[in-house]
Amino acid sequence: MNESNVENSSEKSLPGHIKSATKHYDNYPQGNFHPLLAYAFRPLFILLPAYIAISIILWGFIWSGSLNIPFMTNIMAWHIYEMMFGVASAGIIGFILTAVPEMYDGVTPVTGKTVLGITALWLLGRIAFWMVDIIGIYTVAAIHIPLLLWVTVLVARPVLGDPLQRNVSLALMFLAIVVLQCWFFASMAGLVTSDFMSILKVSLGAFMVLELLVLRRIATEAINELLEQDNIDDTFIARPPAYNIAIFTVLLFTIIEFFYPQNTMLAWLGFAAAAAILNTLNDYFLDDSNIVFKPFVYPLMLILIFMAAGYGMMGFDYLYDDLYGINHFRHFLTTGVFGLSFLMVMIIVGTIHTGRELHSDKWINLSIALIVIATLIRTCIPFMPDHSMTMYTASALIWAIPFIIYLVRFYPLLSQPRADGLPG
Amino acid sequence: MNALLNIIKNFPRYLWSGWGAVSSIFLFITLWEFGFQQYGELVLPSPKNTFHTLWTMLHTDNIMQDVLITVKRAIWGFVISAGLGSFLGMLAGLFVTASIMSRPIITILMGMPPIAWIVLAMIWFGTGDNTVIFTVVVASFPIVFVGALQGSRTLEGDLKDMSDSFKAPLLMKFTDVYFPHIFSYIFPAWIAALGMSWKIVVMAELLSTPDGIGAALAVTRSHLDTAGALALVTIMIGFLLFIEYVFMEPIKREVEQWRD
Repeated sequence: MNESNVENSSEKSLPGHIKSATKHYDNYPQGNFHPLLAYAFRPLFILLPAYIAISIILWGFIWSGSLNIPFMTNIMAWHIYEMMFGVASAGIIGFILTAVPEMYDGVTPVTGKTVLGITALWLLGRIAFWMVDIIGIYTVAAIHIPLLLWVTVLVARPVLGDPLQRNVSLALMFLAIVVLQCWFFASMAGLVTSDFMSILKVSLGAFMVLELLVLRRIATEAINELLEQDNIDDTFIARPPAYNIAIFTVLLFTIIEFFYPQNTMLAWLGFAAAAAILNTLNDYFLDDSNIVFKPFVYPLMLILIFMAAGYGMMGFDYLYDDLYGINHFRHFLTTGVFGLSFLMVMIIVGTIHTGRELHSDKWINLSIALIVIATLIRTCIPFMPDHSMTMYTASALIWAIPFIIYLVRFYPLLSQPRADGLPG
Repeated sequence: MNALLNIIKNFPRYLWSGWGAVSSIFLFITLWEFGFQQYGELVLPSPKNTFHTLWTMLHTDNIMQDVLITVKRAIWGFVISAGLGSFLGMLAGLFVTASIMSRPIITILMGMPPIAWIVLAMIWFGTGDNTVIFTVVVASFPIVFVGALQGSRTLEGDLKDMSDSFKAPLLMKFTDVYFPHIFSYIFPAWIAALGMSWKIVVMAELLSTPDGIGAALAVTRSHLDTAGALALVTIMIGFLLFIEYVFMEPIKREVEQWRD
């Protein structure tokens, strides 16, 4: 990252509630950057919702047979891969490159050409993905793998250099995801014998662990900021032991699912993971005030509830042989957890880091409601098999709407300079 | 009254805090499932099969009658030992001589294996409720007695002096000075005694009565019905968890708030 800094950053002129999101201005690089290149989240959070909308339509065409892309005869595997390593990675990259300068003093935010490079590589990766049958798997791998590796290198130095080692788990999980991506490509190319679907399941587990690690940090930061904003004299603490138990059970589930697929132990482990995840919600019940229904608090809780529902229902499926719904229930984790977390991260970062007050409105509540509805429709398919096709379509379309709403409403914010006149 | 209202008010939140414990229990069941996969259905039936057997038992057999008989015996035994142990223990704690004299007796009572008590009780009382209740009382009593004794022995003189100098009424002295301190010793002893009662009652029933969970366990043993035996054990553990965590723990939290 760049070393040159802006002198005399003007924190004093900022509204109190966003002070905590302005640490990095002490180290913001000199120079006039186009607003779109002033921070990594800006271009990525414009392109990501647009890509979600376009890809939903494209997948719709593929599943209905209107568009013929064989995807190396494994459409399902590539679909899952792209939703995780294409869509989810953009959300995580946007978040991590914004969060790291906030977490550590002296870290210079990524700007200008580096942002352009990361965005271009991500975009190129999406184009390459849809052309995998033409350009070949090795070319796609050569474009995809360097992206997460690059971001890992960018965040590794401050994270690993921290004497308190506060976020090493985050960096390790990031690295694990890169390794899993390489493993998937090796499996698809026939270089290793591992089953690619199993690798994707492991990857989803790794992403869930990353979610828990990130969520603990976001919840602590955002909720305390909201408490301060509302003059509530209480402190929110996301207690590490509860999250550690949740991470342990999710990891155990993931490992056993890889080595012993279909084993009944997974039923009990699924329940254990669900209970451990629900246990993390205890942090949200404060001593003196009820914050559960506050904007930006209940969506964070919903993310955890969806994650618990996902593991709980998968456990249920492993227990009852006549219920064939495990892959549908896994959508609690993708449609639900991924959908809500991307949306919330994009809204929170897109608002605070463009110099505005964090506030909720009917559009945000509507968007959250739509993702909840889409998730419930998608995960209820095993119980209403006669309507499955309608439910697939409805879920996909409803899921895409919040991202289109976000794009329309946040494009002006993301493509223009900060409202408070600060750089970034 | 305020304490009761507080317990009720905090109960939903307390209940939700149990998810961590639920997770641990499921991890334990995973280990159980692993054991089943290693050793087979006869040695260790699968959790699923056990819970299925339990479900069938609860719906078809007269198991609920046996459960109620066992619960009644355990509760009676526990209440008698808790009452007697608390009273005598506190009383003994007030006098140094009584404390010193009671110690070897407690050592004898605690050292005596419950199975020996069962044999004696069967000779004295025959087969029936009295044998079981007596065994429960005699096994649980020393635990409560020691807790109560320590509670009253360790009362802080400074606090007593302070309440005397403020001329606090006797009731206030009891509720605000003596009770919280003694309770913090007695309550864990009650919980330990409750656990002990539950274990002893089944053992005593197995050997000495024709009814109750213990007797039902004896039947499953003779039929080599491991799943049935585990289902009965699950019922007992379920009851114990329910009583300890749903009734005892909220009271303990409320009464021991002063420790924070």
